[in-house]
Amino acid sequence: MSELFQEAVIISILAGTFRVMTPILFAAIGELVTQRAGIWNMGVEGTMIMGAFTSYIVAVETGSQHLAILSGILSGMVMGLITAFMIATMRVDHFITGLGLNLLVGGLSLFWFRLYVGGGYAPTFDSLDNFAIPILNTIPILGDIFFNQKLLTYVAFLSVPIVWYFLYRTRWGLELRCLGENPKALDIKGLNVVLRQYVAILIGSSFTGLGGAFLMLAFSDRFQPDLTAGKGWLAIVAIIAGKWLPKGVFIAVLVFAFLGSVAVHVQILDVNIPYQIFLALPYLASIILLICMRKKINQPAKLGVPYFR
Amino acid sequence: MIRLEKRIEVNNAWIALMYLSACIIGFLLTALLLWLSGTDISKAFYALYKGSMSSQKTIFSSLSKATPLILTGLATVVAFRAKVWSIGQEGQVYSGAMSAYMASLMFFGLPVWIYLTLIIGFGALGGAFLGALSAVLKNRFNVNEIISTVMLNYIMIFFLSYMVGGGPWTGVGDVALTYSQSNPIDDTAKLPFLFDSRKLHLGFVLAIVCALACHILINLTPFGYEIRAMGHNSIALKYRGTNTKKTLLYLMVFSGAIAGLAGVSEIFGTNHSLKGDTLVGLGFTGIIVGMIGGLTPIGTVIAGVVFGGLASGSVYMKIIAKVPGTLVPTMEGLFLLTFLIAGVASHYKIVRLKKDV
Repeated sequence: MSELFQEAVIISILAGTFRVMTPILFAAIGELVTQRAGIWNMGVEGTMIMGAFTSYIVAVETGSQHLAILSGILSGMVMGLITAFMIATMRVDHFITGLGLNLLVGGLSLFWFRLYVGGGYAPTFDSLDNFAIPILNTIPILGDIFFNQKLLTYVAFLSVPIVWYFLYRTRWGLELRCLGENPKALDIKGLNVVLRQYVAILIGSSFTGLGGAFLMLAFSDRFQPDLTAGKGWLAIVAIIAGKWLPKGVFIAVLVFAFLGSVAVHVQILDVNIPYQIFLALPYLASIILLICMRKKINQPAKLGVPYFR
Repeated sequence: MIRLEKRIEVNNAWIALMYLSACIIGFLLTALLLWLSGTDISKAFYALYKGSMSSQKTIFSSLSKATPLILTGLATVVAFRAKVWSIGQEGQVYSGAMSAYMASLMFFGLPVWIYLTLIIGFGALGGAFLGALSAVLKNRFNVNEIISTVMLNYIMIFFLSYMVGGGPWTGVGDVALTYSQSNPIDDTAKLPFLFDSRKLHLGFVLAIVCALACHILINLTPFGYEIRAMGHNSIALKYRGTNTKKTLLYLMVFSGAIAGLAGVSEIFGTNHSLKGDTLVGLGFTGIIVGMIGGLTPIGTVIAGVVFGGLASGSVYMKIIAKVPGTLVPTMEGLFLLTFLIAGVASHYKIVRLKKDV
């Protein structure tokens, strides 16, 4: 156990925390917009897998990381369109839609992956490089932890204040939040409810697709089944535990990512404790977090309720 | 102009038409997928038929694959009818399998029928325990049941992975170690085969009995009434004086117990040693089975048998048509979506609007 408490290992764990955090943060902050608009999109996990898988194929085929990231976002949006069609247009139950899409994508991505690989080994691609921020990265310790990350990690951090600004300081943000509390009010004002539901879902799913692409491109060099391993679900938990506030969501994601990073390091260091315990930690922690958050103060009143005129 | 309008009366012919179209569209989408992947479509579907129902052997194989799916499907029905969106069937299958395996070690040497009964009973208890946990989390701490069941799924998967991959139940020998599985179970612990088939086992009988029990429970008992009422209007049920927390607890226990049996059936009927890989996806597929079965026990049995056939046929499809076995989960997902849309569409009718009314 003492191996864990060396300086180099601690720095590595903290730096890893921000890396692990990025995809979950993207998904959580995007889905926060969706949920504030009253739509409980349970398909985060599936959308993430789709984003990861598409970006894998594009990365291998074109060798371009930019295109791969873009395709991750686009495939997230396609998933969002299907979700929006089911939820906003057909008014299928929110939970069922998300579950169905998760199950579909779980199968579909594996099917295409097997076809793509055939009998051989999965082709690989070059992972994203680190983007060290000049000067700042030379600060001892802090430089290694904060300022030597992937470019998208900084983007993820920036997206938290941006989403906050969008939700609380813009007209569209206000309307989307109103959609979550009282969609009838918007409808009576003559504003298009379905259109806004589409927008809210698409914002969320494109962020989630981006998170999936990052998960793929930053952590490994080839696709593998069950790559996401519940990170999409953790994003949903982070929203609940963060009480539907951007700041709270950020903190919750930080906690999960720290535990995840510890789990990764324990596996590498060969500590004398079964590594499965550490792998299970984020999930255990999420249940405990939810137990502590029994009062759902800011939960949108109409979250998960299909809107009928 | 054409417009969709909600139906007031139920039109059975229309509903049947919608679900039939859902089936056809599901198959067309599958064919499209096969075409996109450059496979011979007719060959693939022929292989599917060949491997699922062309002979007595393959029919038994289909039914044996259907057994755990029917059970997890029924577990879904019990929960979803009450609009309790438990997706913990996966974890409950794992915990059922594990506690049954524990029983098989604890009670080794008892007379066969008592021994088997204890194994099956412990399996049900294991699943029920996990279900109860989610219900308590919901009742006491208001933890969303979807989230808690998903998290418990992952925790159970890692738990089993530890127990047979380095933990106390790890089997002896290189094979067991590489594939993370336990020692083979004793012959007396195996669920007896039906009709000398070497495929179909006692688990199938259990599944059918459970389906009948669920049918009676949901449709003909006061508790079933509470389950259905909770799904329609839980607030009204509360004002009627029903303790909805208790209803939730009982239904989760019941649902978990059935899912636990799926784990018993798979480990003690088919695989004959404890191993995570054989249990993967049984719970999730069960959700689709229950949904496509229209959340009725009878429908679930039918959907389960069809999906069992798909699973059994996919083996042939892999060999004859070189289609990856993962086509089957994809098909299942596609069918789920088309059925969901059909379910909604069956409540609407197409109305032709006359100009300027």
